[in-house]
Amino acid sequence: MIEVKDLYKKFGDLEVLKGINCKIAEQEVVCVIGPSGSGKSTFLRCLNMLEEMTSGDVVVNGYHLNDPKTNINKVRTEVGMVFQQFNLFPHRSVMENIMLAPKKVRKISDKEARERALGLLEKVGLSDKADMYPSQLSGGQQQRVAIARALAMEPKVMLFDEPTSALDPELVGEVLEVMKQLALEGMTMVVVTHEMGFAKEVGDRVLFMDEGIIMEEGDPENIFTNPELERTKGFLNKIL
Amino acid sequence: MLGRFNWAGVIDFLPQLATGLYYTLLISVLGLFIGFILGAIFGLGRISKNKLIYGISSIYVEVIRGTPVLVQAIWIFFALPLIIGHTFESVTAGVIVIALNSGAYIAEIVRGAVQSIEKGQMEAGRSLGLDHGKTMRYIIWPQAFKRMIPPLGNQFIISIKDTSLLSVILVPELIFQGRLIAANHFNAVEIYTTVALFYLVITLTLSLVLRLVERRLDIQ
Repeated sequence: MIEVKDLYKKFGDLEVLKGINCKIAEQEVVCVIGPSGSGKSTFLRCLNMLEEMTSGDVVVNGYHLNDPKTNINKVRTEVGMVFQQFNLFPHRSVMENIMLAPKKVRKISDKEARERALGLLEKVGLSDKADMYPSQLSGGQQQRVAIARALAMEPKVMLFDEPTSALDPELVGEVLEVMKQLALEGMTMVVVTHEMGFAKEVGDRVLFMDEGIIMEEGDPENIFTNPELERTKGFLNKIL
Repeated sequence: MLGRFNWAGVIDFLPQLATGLYYTLLISVLGLFIGFILGAIFGLGRISKNKLIYGISSIYVEVIRGTPVLVQAIWIFFALPLIIGHTFESVTAGVIVIALNSGAYIAEIVRGAVQSIEKGQMEAGRSLGLDHGKTMRYIIWPQAFKRMIPPLGNQFIISIKDTSLLSVILVPELIFQGRLIAANHFNAVEIYTTVALFYLVITLTLSLVLRLVERRLDIQ
């Protein structure tokens, strides 16, 4: 589903990603952990080309992102993204947030978009908020709307960029619950997160990133209980 | 002290002042309408990654902002015809001056407002598969437009007052008419006070309308 080959990313002189290689299979849930500045968000953003790679290649659903002929907008319709800061459209209601892209990109009818949006709102437990504006919702509710908005495009992969980091602690659970549900339904997911509990419970695999490379990877149980590298141990000791 | 002036006599000149008011409003409305379009185009040009578009937009803004509107009016009315071999009606020249002048300032307002929208909004739109143009149109522009309203109102008021300078290129607007009347009837105090009040009424009305629009958009 996703294949990353020798991915490098530089911001000016600063080399943030220094050769990432990995494969993510269909229906797999991969959690990316690591200290801040390790490049994990940049890595995630390279998967839908919000950051342009410096060299290497990323193949998503068969599209080569380093090929200038690839229609990036087409790729993105199949790759949903959820941001740390939610990034809902503040001038549009919850329903309009969800309906906008399916209508304007997928060109589906208003009626169909509305039905789809209502179905998704029910799924994330916010049916009663359809006509509200983002500013009237709590952070947890906003993030759940953001997930619904991404799902409305019926993506094949979902990328999560620290989806709970901007939330008050008591609101984290409701978002993770929605994500867990999504994983159980078989969605392919790449999750940059500090929620080790989530990684352990839901993740099929954990990637530990540091200094722009994947230092260690494996199934969550192994990584958390028995990490090979001192770096991984040190990081886990600090956060667990 | 003001009593020794013939205020009631102003009524006789109201039709002539109304003609002036008509031209003031005509040039303001047309000039600002075109100015807004110019401002939107060149404002977006100032954010463009295309160096040529950025360059042209920047030159336009800097040249207009860097020269007085009075000089622009005189240049377009008296100098430009000698270059292009075509004379403008003074009213046409007036509209051009107000459009070009306000357009440069509005371009900066547009640029500032668009750039003030959080980067995450563009990213959210793009990540959903909307192309750059659609993201601008449905997500960035509506939010930016709301932020433009207060500075736009300010610019509209400035430009309306700038139309008074067009009397030097013989546009028959308010102060032009006022000077004609005052020169012939020696009633400078009454006429110029009335003219000033006319401007004040126009700008206060505009302020009020803008405040209503702003409140309206706030609710959304």
